Amino acid sequence: MSRCRSWSPVQRYGLAAYRRYSGSGGYPNIPLSSPLPGVPSPTFASVDGLEKSETRITTLENGLRVASQNKFGQFCTVGILVNSGSRHETKYPSGIAHFLEKLAFSSTAQYGSRDEILLTLEKHGGICDCQTSRDTTMYAISAEVKGLDTVVSLLSDAVLQPRLLDEEIEMTQMAVRFELEDLNMRPDPEPLLTEMIHAAAYRGNTVGLPRFCPGDNVDKIDQAVLHGYLRSYYCPQRMVLAGVGIEHEQLVKCARRYLLNTRPVWGEATPTDVDLSVAQYTGGIIALLVVKRCILMRGVWAQQEDDFIPFAVLNMMMGGGGSFSAGGPGKGMFTRLYLNVLNRHHWMYNATAYHHSYEDSGLLCIHASADPRQLREMVEIITREFIQMAGTPGEMELERAKTQLKSMLMMNLESRPVVFEDVGRQVLSTGKRKLPHELCALISNVTTSDIKRVTSKMLRSKPAVAALGDLTELPSFEHIQAALSSKDGRLPRTYRLFR
Amino acid sequence: MRYGLHNYRFEVKKFYAQSLAGAPETRLTALDNGLRVASEETGHATCTVGLWIGAGSRYESEKNNGAGFFLEHMAFKGTKKHPQTALEQEVESMGAHLSAYTSREHTAYYMKTLAKDLPKAVELLSEVVQHCSLNEADVEQQRAVVLRELEEVEGNLQEVCLDLLHATAFQGTPLSYSVLGPSSNARTLSRQDLVEYLGSHYKAPRMVLSAAGGVNHEELVGLAKTHFSGLSFEYEGDAIPVLSPCRFTGSEIRMRDDAMPLAHVAIAVEGARVGSPDIVPLMVANSIIGSYDIKSGGGKNMSSRLAAMAAEENFCESFQAFHSSYSDTGLMGMYFVTDMHHIEDMMHWSQNAWMNMCTTVTDSDVARGKKSLKASLVAQLNGTTPICDDIGRHVLNYGRRVPLAEWDARINAVTPKMVRDVCSKYIYDKCPAVAAVGPVEQLPDYNRTRASMYWLRF
Repeated sequence: MSRCRSWSPVQRYGLAAYRRYSGSGGYPNIPLSSPLPGVPSPTFASVDGLEKSETRITTLENGLRVASQNKFGQFCTVGILVNSGSRHETKYPSGIAHFLEKLAFSSTAQYGSRDEILLTLEKHGGICDCQTSRDTTMYAISAEVKGLDTVVSLLSDAVLQPRLLDEEIEMTQMAVRFELEDLNMRPDPEPLLTEMIHAAAYRGNTVGLPRFCPGDNVDKIDQAVLHGYLRSYYCPQRMVLAGVGIEHEQLVKCARRYLLNTRPVWGEATPTDVDLSVAQYTGGIIALLVVKRCILMRGVWAQQEDDFIPFAVLNMMMGGGGSFSAGGPGKGMFTRLYLNVLNRHHWMYNATAYHHSYEDSGLLCIHASADPRQLREMVEIITREFIQMAGTPGEMELERAKTQLKSMLMMNLESRPVVFEDVGRQVLSTGKRKLPHELCALISNVTTSDIKRVTSKMLRSKPAVAALGDLTELPSFEHIQAALSSKDGRLPRTYRLFR
Repeated sequence: MRYGLHNYRFEVKKFYAQSLAGAPETRLTALDNGLRVASEETGHATCTVGLWIGAGSRYESEKNNGAGFFLEHMAFKGTKKHPQTALEQEVESMGAHLSAYTSREHTAYYMKTLAKDLPKAVELLSEVVQHCSLNEADVEQQRAVVLRELEEVEGNLQEVCLDLLHATAFQGTPLSYSVLGPSSNARTLSRQDLVEYLGSHYKAPRMVLSAAGGVNHEELVGLAKTHFSGLSFEYEGDAIPVLSPCRFTGSEIRMRDDAMPLAHVAIAVEGARVGSPDIVPLMVANSIIGSYDIKSGGGKNMSSRLAAMAAEENFCESFQAFHSSYSDTGLMGMYFVTDMHHIEDMMHWSQNAWMNMCTTVTDSDVARGKKSLKASLVAQLNGTTPICDDIGRHVLNYGRRVPLAEWDARINAVTPKMVRDVCSKYIYDKCPAVAAVGPVEQLPDYNRTRASMYWLRF
């Protein structure tokens, strides 16, 4: 009814005049279907194989490595990666990495608070983020290329001179508690299971240490503890300044200006207690009793540099996903876990293969979930799949897995933040970067004998099992071990008097 | 180029334009049958290629609402040359991803693949769209899948709320239909319905073959000529479907359920249609209002005033300002999720933000909004698939791809007065459409909401 009121100017002045209402102040009232006059026709970039250009790496005098990959565009991603994570927390209370992640980009020597930082970044259309994992901490900023100087200065401040005020630490404690609650309440148990499988596989050492702060440690971590840790691990030799979308010389110049002679806020000290331990795979079982559904994750040891690519191919070959749908053609509907497991046993909710790799070890896991009453069958199916991995893979299967891996790699590398992470991580762990086409060549060279070799090595080690849910039907660990060493992967028969 | 007086400024503009257009050109060619081919060559080793079609739930009637969605499900179940398993294996062996989506006015089928596989990709896509086999048996099988998906979507309350918003705002017109269609139609749609839908809407002049990545335009046009020349451009009996105008009705719909933990509320006014130049100031206004999510942890220091307030007083779990435009109308609105005790507060402050846009928005706010809008436009185009999607939708909506430099110029031309004028034109004293799901007892009566669409201060 009140539409009458809004239409009356139209009735009074006509439709054309009404439309001109929006074109006040000389703004041309030109619809989007015609080009705006007066805008110079843009000179478009021409593609000249920039993608194949080398990643350039320079090492500064204090050990800091600067790596960059040029890519055309208005925006760049620059960040600092540090070789520090939850695996280095053996001598400290667990959870420091989790805290550092939440405390990143808070007040620093130059910036009074997080929102000052965000305001500065807004001027350059930028965003900042920090992510920690078990072995790496990554501080990243994406912003306009012309803001490079500000970005590097901000990074150096955030990493080397955070103030770590008491009220920030308190807020972080609250945020950590909130996140832990959220993790436990979520219907998707994957992060919890990943924690558990690492704890089972590497009992009590390095990679097995919890990545999320355990509940009772939340109050134990304060500025002194953090400074102690940072003194040992945040030193230039363990850091890489990586950038994508900028010129290498410019990045090095900024690095020299802001990262070469800056004293970190926790004081200079020769790092003494740096934990250099190699991950010790132990295997074992961890079970957590929760309600309703039952989820299982099984991992077996892996790793050495040459084996990384065959394991990635193996992971692709196993594939898997949710039982409702793979997600369409191309998302792995012909992988082994779909063909042999999900398509045959419709009672399984989910079966997926995962591959975690670290510089000295790794895990290949199969994660499955189903109703608790079918737990025993599910375990047997998984053990059978593991044993079958040791058989010769079919030619077509292997080719398909290799092509899918190459294609996934290239598709992920379309995105600038992913390229940044790739550059940073490779330089951090090996000191150089293998370009995408080199990785593709390595993937193409994987043969069936490579797969068989890595699988048999993997199956000789003790398995690690993590289980979550109603576990009354879970076979004992010895039975699972026996199944994995047997020829066909079947669990030993148990005879029960009372079913 | 023509304005000699502004030579110096023009030079500066040109350098800025050069640095801004750090993106290759989008080339557009039309085939004889009306099919348009558009591509952007970015030099990546991968590419995304797809068909964007001007068909969607808006073109359906009450009886066949959901046909487009059903057809999308049937698309990958086999073609005349490649039965289902063969098609799937082909795609998997290429390491490619084949996907599709349907919306109210667009349908898209696209494939992400390595750049060297472009010819095969175009061939497969042409088969999927033109020669879909549509077996009776497959139709029956997919019926169950569609019903199950309908059931799952009921759990996604954001979708439910926004669908209800469309249903009430455009009531009595085809835009009110949801894309998935009602379950009654999912049970009764037959192969014949799908064939009819295909035949009346998948016509060459309404389609765009779009690609982005390591693709060569000439090669793509050649492939299009090979595979898509047979695409029909004539309608049966010359019955070209004419879009009936969809009127906006200020109204309200509530689905009250006190057992739900959170309430989802959306409020919208009629917005700008797709080609309208008003979209730019409206987008700037939405960028100033911003969005917020409690899990993102921005805390009290967010730049949007509404977000800072929401964080400080804990008004909501999340909110976002949105603008959906269709060919002759649009929806400009806000959507928020909150618990049952804060609905009234959140509604009050959201409408307050709107009134602010219409009357007192400041220079610094507009400057901030413009910057963040420009940044988000560029940041979204991160990868070949978003670029390809952008090209497809632009050509369907505007007949050309609007280059980033032009978006930049249009955004720069926005002044605070323009934001106030344009927002007043669309928001001030207009009847909103409100949709709410969950424990919504506290949601103010519609008359109160309508009364908050103007201020008695001047």
